Amino acid sequence: MELTRRKFLGGAAIAAAGAVVGRRVRRAGGAPAPLKIGLLLPYSNVYAVLGESITDGLSLVFEREGWSVAGRRVELIKEDDEVNPQIGLRKVKKLIESDGVDFLVGPVSSGVLAAIRDTVHQARRILIVANAGNDEISRDRCSRYIFRASFSNWQPNSPMGGWVAAHVAKEAYLVAPKYAAGFDMMRAFKETFGAAGGTVVGEDYTPFPVNEDFAPFLTKIKQAAPKVVYAFFSGSQAVRFVRQYDEFGLRGRSRLCGAGFLTETDVLPAEGSAALGIITGHFYSTLLENRTNQAFLREFRDKYKRTPDGFAVQGYDTAQVIVHALTATGGDTRDRDRLVDALRSVEFDSPRGRFRFDPKTQNVIQPFIYVREVREVGGELANVVIDRIANVKDPGTGCTLPG
Amino acid sequence: MRFARSSKGAWAARLLGPGALLAVAALPWIAGSYPVKLAQEILIWGIFAMSLDLLMGYAGMLSFGHSAFFGLGGYVAALALRGWSPSLASALVLPAVAAAVAGLVVGYLSIRVSGVYFIMLTLAFSQMFYAAAFNAAWLGASDGIPGIPRPRLPGLDLDRTEVFHLYVVAFFVATAVVLARVVRSPFGRVLRGIEDNERRMVAVGYAIDRFKLAAFVVAATLAGIAGSLEAQFNGYISPEALFWTTSGEVLLMVIIGGAGTLAGPVLGAAAFIGLQSLMSSYTEHWMLILGAAFIAFVLWAPEGLLGLVRRETERGT
Amino acid sequence: MLLFLLSVGLTLIFGMLGVVNLAHGSFYALGAYAGIAVVAFTQNFWLALCLGPLVVGGVGAAIERSCLRPLYGRGANAQVLLTFGFIYLFDDLIRWIWGAHVRTVPPPRALAGAVMLGPTRFPAYRLFVILFGLGVALLLWLLLERTRIGAVVRAGVWDAEMAAGLGVNVARVFTAVFAGGTGLAALAGVVAVPIQAAYPGMGVEILVRTLIVVVIGGLGSLPGSLAGSLILGQAETFGKAWLPDSSMFIIYGAMAAVLLLRPTGLCGRALR
Repeated sequence: MELTRRKFLGGAAIAAAGAVVGRRVRRAGGAPAPLKIGLLLPYSNVYAVLGESITDGLSLVFEREGWSVAGRRVELIKEDDEVNPQIGLRKVKKLIESDGVDFLVGPVSSGVLAAIRDTVHQARRILIVANAGNDEISRDRCSRYIFRASFSNWQPNSPMGGWVAAHVAKEAYLVAPKYAAGFDMMRAFKETFGAAGGTVVGEDYTPFPVNEDFAPFLTKIKQAAPKVVYAFFSGSQAVRFVRQYDEFGLRGRSRLCGAGFLTETDVLPAEGSAALGIITGHFYSTLLENRTNQAFLREFRDKYKRTPDGFAVQGYDTAQVIVHALTATGGDTRDRDRLVDALRSVEFDSPRGRFRFDPKTQNVIQPFIYVREVREVGGELANVVIDRIANVKDPGTGCTLPG
Repeated sequence: MRFARSSKGAWAARLLGPGALLAVAALPWIAGSYPVKLAQEILIWGIFAMSLDLLMGYAGMLSFGHSAFFGLGGYVAALALRGWSPSLASALVLPAVAAAVAGLVVGYLSIRVSGVYFIMLTLAFSQMFYAAAFNAAWLGASDGIPGIPRPRLPGLDLDRTEVFHLYVVAFFVATAVVLARVVRSPFGRVLRGIEDNERRMVAVGYAIDRFKLAAFVVAATLAGIAGSLEAQFNGYISPEALFWTTSGEVLLMVIIGGAGTLAGPVLGAAAFIGLQSLMSSYTEHWMLILGAAFIAFVLWAPEGLLGLVRRETERGT
Repeated sequence: MLLFLLSVGLTLIFGMLGVVNLAHGSFYALGAYAGIAVVAFTQNFWLALCLGPLVVGGVGAAIERSCLRPLYGRGANAQVLLTFGFIYLFDDLIRWIWGAHVRTVPPPRALAGAVMLGPTRFPAYRLFVILFGLGVALLLWLLLERTRIGAVVRAGVWDAEMAAGLGVNVARVFTAVFAGGTGLAALAGVVAVPIQAAYPGMGVEILVRTLIVVVIGGLGSLPGSLAGSLILGQAETFGKAWLPDSSMFIIYGAMAAVLLLRPTGLCGRALR
């Protein structure tokens, strides 16, 4: 019977705590409620730099707006998902239930997005994906509450498949980290590469999220001696891979190509000369000459004293999406349907070009996918645009959103 | 390590017992959805912790690999609910059977060694499970398995918070009752005898290995059920559920709450999850607090929170 | 080689004190961060190599005296649980002091770049790590086999009661061994930073691999640690490249097999 006495203590404690916490989420009537934006991003582990970049791009827009949108004060609540789906799930629950956010922004890792998708959809909370590209979110697991302002893993890689086969070589060895994004990206490349007559001579997936040593894989690649190595890595893994690729003497022998994240501005300085000559596909390059990009570069450099990267653009665009949608609804976030409609019709000029969502998938339509090569420009390394493919839309197979 | 054992009762407890149960069960109607979700998590981990307590507190076997059965239950439930049929069989029967079989195999092998070797062997086995899940692309690799549907029960919509809440409470109560019966039964007494003095039990003629194995299998099965509930609760399972630090966490709960009492581990689960969720809004350093508290308990209060509470309340008696 | 430095410490601690120090990985992490701190202040990697282990070894000694010593009567389980608690403590402490970012330190200028080893280019720093590890192994062996201190430690590992009976201040030797073991873990940490970078979870990650080495090599044996770490190192390298999906599973299986069939490992002696 002691069992029940303890249970009473435990139960009473839980009930008390519950009442306390439940009461926290009350607001005084009167002034318009602040606009709470929950950022679920990595601020530690392999993708920490991406999390910072996205936050910086986002903050740039809000600062320009004076931290107020449609008369509501903007409040950012940051949570670190540590690139861990389990932790991301716990934090997103806290943001939705305990903090009661109006918008969710994030995450970076496709693994985290896959884990939180159902929770977000069931809670009917608007999520604007600021990075994670898992294709399924634009396909069979799409949701009318989830919008993607970044890219789908398919988008930068599918055009590259055909391009590499036509302009570089028809033989490639694929290497990527072993998680949703790695699988998606290589699949997209393989499809068009094979269709253009290319053959894949090897395919390896490296441990994720922690992998310090690419030596065993690089040794295998060296032995296979392919004409092209097509890789996807991002953040600190990209730095390690590119540097070790050079250390192992592969740079002269097999042409390294990949998804743009391999050589984005966040990792290019750390990679140094080891990155010269790498060809990648991305929806952005700092050297784009359109007016919006020039203004963006100026603003960003002024505020943060460094050059922005594609991730900052993603954050920037995400914030723009929120601003435009909220202006259209006059600051109302309670009427979800109205908000969703406003989000779907958002359109504006982004540093990457004209930004619009594809109504079929609520994924951004990339105005261009640029093929870039790392060269030295004015004493610094940069991704020089050597070709481009226009209007890249994710196929969205299996997504049943109204077109 | 010796733990205190609960053997006394009190009239007050008999009155307040049903009250506690009612308070927890009624939570969806008196509190917001966040505390309700916290309560569900505490109940699920409470089942997990109680199952470990059977092993540790009553049979004296310190296993660092209990997460293997928790995670196995979760993964089997995930695969069955998603790929086979969203039924109670998938949610309950399959995970329990899988965990029981795994418990039989792992237990049979692990019991052959004792002490530090037992700790490390159980750790090694659970890491094998982890390695399998982490590396297999068909199990989701490091991403795990998302999109797990809740079972479809006749007349019950488990997607509604209140219904799922009572579902979890039901499992918790069932587990608690079963375990309470077990530890009070002759079987339970033999287990305690084994923990007290193994040689004596052997001398008296008990086939202690069989008892230990039985305890191991029961504990594994219950852990598997807890794992399945966790998968249904989150709609998601990841290899982390199998990692040795998960074994460590549930161990933490048992020690802090008070091993050998069944109710203590539930308190421990509440303390851990409470600290992790609620405190993290106020301070980032809940891990420090937890670690320090754990160390303090090991050093000075090995009977855990429950032991402390009992010391206080029995002062008056 | 990193595994070797780590496993030597762990195996000696176990052999002498009977404690499986689950916090060993955390001392490794502490060492790495201490090394980063020293380099940040002094720009001198070699200094970090000396100071880091000393400081962390000191922390280890303090912990042994204050927390482990009272538990010696209570059995191995209590000690293992205690060290587990420290994992949480240290992890949070590291995050608190140094933040959660991945941090790195470039290898000292003398060792940056590559050397030609026959037909292949080999990073110079990695070569250094191997040679350094071997050097430490040799020093430790000399210390244990050829000096009085070493004899005392070996006596304690073999039979602590006897040693006490012979007048050895066992308590102080225990502290010294624990400090030495954790100091070695910290040394491994400092050495690891230029290759692997430092992040708060690095201790947990490497702990299980260290346990595998110690089990396979034999608890309490120095040559066992060397053998074990070489075996595991090779198994992992080949495994990652040729059997990527099953190598981890096989390695843990090997650990379980050794514990079941030959708990003393390759070179260990039976425990009392």
